[in-house]
Amino acid sequence: MSATTVSAAHAVPYSARRKGRAARRRRWLIRVATLLLSVVILVWTIMPIYNMVMVALEAEGDVFGEHIWPPKPSPRSFWIVVSQGYWYLEYFWHQFGNSVFIAVMTTLLVLSIGSLTSFSVARMRLKNGWLITNAALLTYVIPASFLAIPFYLIMNHYGLHDNPWSVIAALVTFATPYAIFIFQEYGRSIPLELDESARIDGASPVQVYFRIYLPLMAPALVAVGTYALLLAWNEYLYQFLLLSNKRSMTVPVALAQFTNSDQAPWNYMMATAIIYALPPVATYYAFRRRMSSGLTMGGVKG
Amino acid sequence: MGSLSRRSVIRASLGLAASGSLARPHIARAAATTATVWWIQGFVQEEDIAFRKTVTEYQKISGNTLDFSIIPFAPMRQKIVSAVTSGLVPDLFQNTPGEIIALYAWDNKLLDLSDVIETQRKEYTETALLSAYCYNSIEKRRGYYGVPYTTGVLPNHIWRSLVEKAGCKIEDIPKTWDAYYDFFKDVQKGLRARGERKVYGLGFQVTTNGVDPMNLFNYFLIANGGQNIVSKDGRLHLDDPAVREAAIKALTYPAMAYKEGYVPPGAINWNDADDNNAFHAKQIVMDLDGTISTEVAVIHNEDEYKDIVTMGLPLGNDGKPVPSQAGNACGLIPKGAKNVEVAKDFLRYFIQPAVSNEYLKTGLGRNIPAMPSIAKNDPWWLDPADQHRVAYVTQGLLGPTIPNFWVFNPAYAQVQNEHVWSVAWTDVMTGGMTPQAAAEKAFKRVEEIFARYPVAQS
Amino acid sequence: MASASVTLIGRPAAGRQSLWRYWQGGLHGSEFVWAVAFIVPYIGVFLAFVIYPVLYGAWMGSSPHLYSELFSDPIYQQTLVNTLLFLAFGVNLKLFLALLLSGFFMQPGWWIKTLLVIFVLPWAIPALPSFISIHWMLNGEWGLLNNTLYILFGIEGPSWLNQRWFALGSAIASHIWKWLPFWTVILLAGRMSLPQEVMDAAKVDGATGLRSFAYVTFPMLANLYLVLTLLATIFLLGDFNSVFFVSGGGPANSTHVLATLGIRDAYDMGHPELGVAAVMSALPLMIPLVIILMRKLRTAEVQL
Repeated sequence: MSATTVSAAHAVPYSARRKGRAARRRRWLIRVATLLLSVVILVWTIMPIYNMVMVALEAEGDVFGEHIWPPKPSPRSFWIVVSQGYWYLEYFWHQFGNSVFIAVMTTLLVLSIGSLTSFSVARMRLKNGWLITNAALLTYVIPASFLAIPFYLIMNHYGLHDNPWSVIAALVTFATPYAIFIFQEYGRSIPLELDESARIDGASPVQVYFRIYLPLMAPALVAVGTYALLLAWNEYLYQFLLLSNKRSMTVPVALAQFTNSDQAPWNYMMATAIIYALPPVATYYAFRRRMSSGLTMGGVKG
Repeated sequence: MGSLSRRSVIRASLGLAASGSLARPHIARAAATTATVWWIQGFVQEEDIAFRKTVTEYQKISGNTLDFSIIPFAPMRQKIVSAVTSGLVPDLFQNTPGEIIALYAWDNKLLDLSDVIETQRKEYTETALLSAYCYNSIEKRRGYYGVPYTTGVLPNHIWRSLVEKAGCKIEDIPKTWDAYYDFFKDVQKGLRARGERKVYGLGFQVTTNGVDPMNLFNYFLIANGGQNIVSKDGRLHLDDPAVREAAIKALTYPAMAYKEGYVPPGAINWNDADDNNAFHAKQIVMDLDGTISTEVAVIHNEDEYKDIVTMGLPLGNDGKPVPSQAGNACGLIPKGAKNVEVAKDFLRYFIQPAVSNEYLKTGLGRNIPAMPSIAKNDPWWLDPADQHRVAYVTQGLLGPTIPNFWVFNPAYAQVQNEHVWSVAWTDVMTGGMTPQAAAEKAFKRVEEIFARYPVAQS
Repeated sequence: MASASVTLIGRPAAGRQSLWRYWQGGLHGSEFVWAVAFIVPYIGVFLAFVIYPVLYGAWMGSSPHLYSELFSDPIYQQTLVNTLLFLAFGVNLKLFLALLLSGFFMQPGWWIKTLLVIFVLPWAIPALPSFISIHWMLNGEWGLLNNTLYILFGIEGPSWLNQRWFALGSAIASHIWKWLPFWTVILLAGRMSLPQEVMDAAKVDGATGLRSFAYVTFPMLANLYLVLTLLATIFLLGDFNSVFFVSGGGPANSTHVLATLGIRDAYDMGHPELGVAAVMSALPLMIPLVIILMRKLRTAEVQL
């Protein structure tokens, strides 16, 4: 930059030529730098994922070895997983179903509880409602793993031990504050007069909520819903602590079982992991554009 | 959780009606009820099948119902910890991990099951009986706080093909401790000479994760004459020069083998399964690791199954036999259990030699009996067709054994869980300490921990 | 909410103000009932699953002797150091890289867009298998990384997870791998929402490249960056997975952070109270962070 400013003081034709060359060199340099950086980013991002795929394609005994490409690649592991052909995986689809159930329930609850709360506080202007919003924010900033131990113990008191609802409760607890936060922020863009005129027309708060508030909030609902879905799908610690039976487990917990036994067929484990990773990746890409509208402070906890 | 659901009552009463005509010699009370049982998931599927079969059998005979969940190791540990902490307990679970029998007995959280033990007392090995005989610091006395039903020890697992590939022979393995393990250093040298870049001679788990390293240390300690580290009265004997010397040796050999490159470098941070994985991938020639799960894991692959050689322990460096430290899985009934009678009744049923034998056999013999008569009366256990089982039964049931040190004082469980000895290995392997210095540091910590667990002396 | 209901009941119910004022100020009759009914679910969740566990945890970790036991544990002291290093490097490196990369991804071109799509993959993939994969990849003898180094360059790589600083560094790097896309995307959104006129004006004034970044872009992003730093700090403090699955707290328990030490003390050591105490000992750090963050979030015009 400084070179260009200095050169401007010199004679025009010479400096123009130099300037042109310098600019071209700069463009070229930027392009090379971009390319190099791209390669670095690509390798950095892909390597662990490649490792997953490689292990999944290997035969059991080849997992420990000195190669960077599977000696005899075979999709057999994937077939074993989907056909539940190994005893750790005997409930794979059941566990997959548990994951889906927990994710869907969490999403629905987060959306309904979050939108009701923010409707009441931000739209109906419930007095002292900000107390709730603040309290919610406070939850939002407690690291989820810090509450894991007491949470686990109190689930005994609630009689929810080894029950998917205990996990749903935990996930709702940690995702709803984010939802309230986003809904309130997003709701500011919707004029209050809409609610008011509906009220004057005799609509009850419930009707206002369903007919006006929810439709207008659709983008925020999609964003938060995707967030809650991904959170529930990715969460491990609570699911691990709260679910212990093979039939009540979710896939991440079942995956972790592979690491604490004497017999650990890693190729099956990674094949399971890849299959499990497909839905969130698909969800993310499907809603990527809409998500950016509500993006996205809280990202993901845990 | 423990409450009776309508269905279980119906099930139980149907069972009672069905069993009315059957003889029930071991049933103390005929009232049919349900007990909640948490049972540990096996390392091979057959173990789970074995437990299900046993339960079905028992329900048929007794009319009682066992509401059981089969739970993997890690969550089991958490479930038990929180159940005991919160007081909402099942009626029966196992000592998973092993030392909780001593820790919870200490805290007066378990029922004394001497009456159950009494029904088969004569059958048990002395080690099995000792394994359940723990100290209650509230009542200031010892008692049988668990009912043993299997035994497990650490045999040596060796790939014959790797030994032979190095130009050595299994039959040439020396018979005394240090020479025995030195042999595998030569095997590694032989393999390196033949172009194997990353195969290691010794699969020592010199890590700070899981139970493997604790066992490994204890085995080396005992082999070097340090088994008096904790005496039966619960006292620590680090003042005994023989114990100190043995501890230093037990720190030295594996740590030096590691430093000299005979143990995979990654072993310093292995998980419980990693040694097995490395072994199955034929990246280590031998592994000293608990039970014959290593072999049973490949039982359906005959070539590999036959290629593994299972061996008991070598003699000590002085030529005397080395006792194996045996872990005994026990059934425990926590205080606060709602259906103590059913749980006890099931345990009485479960430890009858015939029932126990059937259960362990169905589990492919990965766990061996805690009763010598079982192996002596059923030729299956010493059937020469299966070299692994013969070696394992000979070592763990018929050979000399001693119980875990934490049976005598749970402080040792704390020592193990803190991985005091593994940390000392690491101090030597990568921290630049001498074994003596690392040992002194470890001794200090061990003494601190034992100070928190005073056992009253009568 | 007791105070709210008292004031409302005390107020004459007659509609002496317009409906509009009720929406603005207070509610009455059925509206108030509805408004309260709408917040009841969240209050229920909050009481049952936030207040109760927090109080229960505080009660569990209230005994002073737990803390003397904790502080006398040599592992705990190492853990504190690790946690601080994890925070210092994890947060700052991650956010600084995110800031740079968000600029990188502002560039036009199909290649950059495609790269962005790939770049966010780690965020979308569940944490557990990714971290286990990284754990194997870093295995010194048989891992992909060292195999690649050996095959491509003939270098024997170090055993990444065998030495405290390497292992801690690996855990931090894994954390960054997983979460960098997320923060980059947020900063990217932040950059995109910057008023274009200001940027254009800066360009006209001759501010380009670094200078434009230092004097124009960054000041406008500074508030967002600060809030993100606070948030990232709090989230990272609770990160259990990256340490637990990558280094496992090893070697020799030298790479634990508070989140993993708490779980270890509670379950591996069978002492839940100690685990809670380990986590509670982070409160002196947490509370000021949370207070600053709440003030920032309430007052600042942070574009989310």
